[in-house]
Amino acid sequence: MLPSYYEFYNPVKIISGSKALENVAYELGLLNAKRPLVITDKGVEKAGLMDVFMNSFKSSDVEIGPVFSDVPPDSSNATVNKIAKIYNEYKCDSLIAVGGGSPIDTAKGVNILVTENSDDLAEFEGADRLTHPLKPFVVIPTTAGTGSETTLVAVIYNEEKKVKMEFISGYLLPDLAVLDPRMTETMPAKITAATGMDALTHAVEAYTCLQKNPVSDAYAFSAIKLIRANLLKAVKDGKDKAARLSMANAATMSGISFSNSMVGGVHALGHSTGAVAKVPHGVAMSVFLPHGLEYNFEKIKDSLAELLLPFSGPDVYSATPAEKRAEKLIEDIREFQKELKDAAGLPYTLKDAGVTEDMFGKIAMGAVDDGALMMNPEEMSHDDAMKILKKAF
Amino acid sequence: MGEYKIIKPGRKRFKSIVCKVVLVILGRAFQVISEKDNEIADEIAAWPEGFKLELNVLPFGPRLILHKKNGRVKAKGFDDKTPDLSVNFKNVDSAFLILTPLMGVPRGFAEHRFTVIGDVAKAMSFVRCLNLILAYLYPDFLCKNLMRRIPHIKFTKRMTTRLYFYTIGLITGF
Repeated sequence: MLPSYYEFYNPVKIISGSKALENVAYELGLLNAKRPLVITDKGVEKAGLMDVFMNSFKSSDVEIGPVFSDVPPDSSNATVNKIAKIYNEYKCDSLIAVGGGSPIDTAKGVNILVTENSDDLAEFEGADRLTHPLKPFVVIPTTAGTGSETTLVAVIYNEEKKVKMEFISGYLLPDLAVLDPRMTETMPAKITAATGMDALTHAVEAYTCLQKNPVSDAYAFSAIKLIRANLLKAVKDGKDKAARLSMANAATMSGISFSNSMVGGVHALGHSTGAVAKVPHGVAMSVFLPHGLEYNFEKIKDSLAELLLPFSGPDVYSATPAEKRAEKLIEDIREFQKELKDAAGLPYTLKDAGVTEDMFGKIAMGAVDDGALMMNPEEMSHDDAMKILKKAF
Repeated sequence: MGEYKIIKPGRKRFKSIVCKVVLVILGRAFQVISEKDNEIADEIAAWPEGFKLELNVLPFGPRLILHKKNGRVKAKGFDDKTPDLSVNFKNVDSAFLILTPLMGVPRGFAEHRFTVIGDVAKAMSFVRCLNLILAYLYPDFLCKNLMRRIPHIKFTKRMTTRLYFYTIGLITGF
């Protein structure tokens, strides 16, 4: 059934596949970008991915750089200000982010400052505060999970106020997302599993939460099918280019999906668990996903039943009675988690992830204050969150 | 030069007036019921002193400002300072849907009927307060279309507070 009203927006051009990086120089020309500033982190550099990136420009006429490779894991306004100064000093005209969530969000923050000619990000915090297009912006993801290359959100820590600032605007969307299998093939198995489960959670929540719409559903449906078919392969053999590229595509599609149909309770719990217990986001998503689906079960069972087809395939779908499909999906997700635990050591419970029971109160408090809860199909109080935490332990 | 029709901006006065009336009632309800319900009082206690929250109908208003002063919430129709948290209805039709109340806050948010500027955690706290206020103001058959779960309030407490608000609180603001 169609919602009475919905909005969908995704202007990001996606180039995907073999030698995709080699086309970036041409794409920069189309964006009229002549001197891009590159933003990345030490992990990307150590993995040798910057060499792959630099080599891809060897037959181009574009001068790339300066390259800023000191983005910390949780980027702050101080880092963004520092990079914005470099951008202006070198008279850059565009940005390229190479990395996972942190370099991408940092680049989004830099893009706000250099376009608005400001040094105070806090002025632009919140939804729809930007009123005109930003500088040309290219994203080359090196993980397959966050979907940041197609999301309109950036989260940056404010060092003075000691809070996370959230920026939401269609103008934050990159102009180009580059999915090249070479950029994710060095990712370790456990991170591959965790980020893949993050992508799965994006797609499942986008398909089952209150903002779902037919266009976001289509992206989520395809993403889930790709994740089930390729995540385990990518975990077991990182050099499997086809599996890596499929996962990169799945993460991007999940990103498009949840940018237009916001995630819900699983993310609210996961954000808070990350903040309190420092559990990596993908790990938290993996642990909470089946519990969140069970919590919302009565309100989402029809949508869950539909997802059995992309997740478990046509044979399982047709062999399962219609009224049992939703339960079967949750059962199969649990089975999938166990396979990932065996293959990569991905934690299955909160206890495995290092959470202790004395943290529950604080986690539940953070979860009920998380904006993602607004789109959860079922109301979730502090007591409800505590019950889910106990079950997930 | 040919003659072409120009569409001029205007106002939907009936809907604006209805929205204004509902915002006044809502403001009074916040002011009065926050003193009578412990759960709302606890939420407001966590807001910083001087906190200002605005409900605004774009582009011309009306608007409602809830200002925490001396630990209490005071409702007013205008303020010259930038609020800490703004809930902006995109147009009077969107505001009408949510305020009359034909649509609940979660559905309104899902349908992009309003935007939120400011601390999201405070916005979530405001929505929890709003659910409780609406449960005092409206009967269950209306509430169940507005929220995912009707807050549990003792029947006698709910009825006496509702009676007090509509007979005394709405007029006096206390």
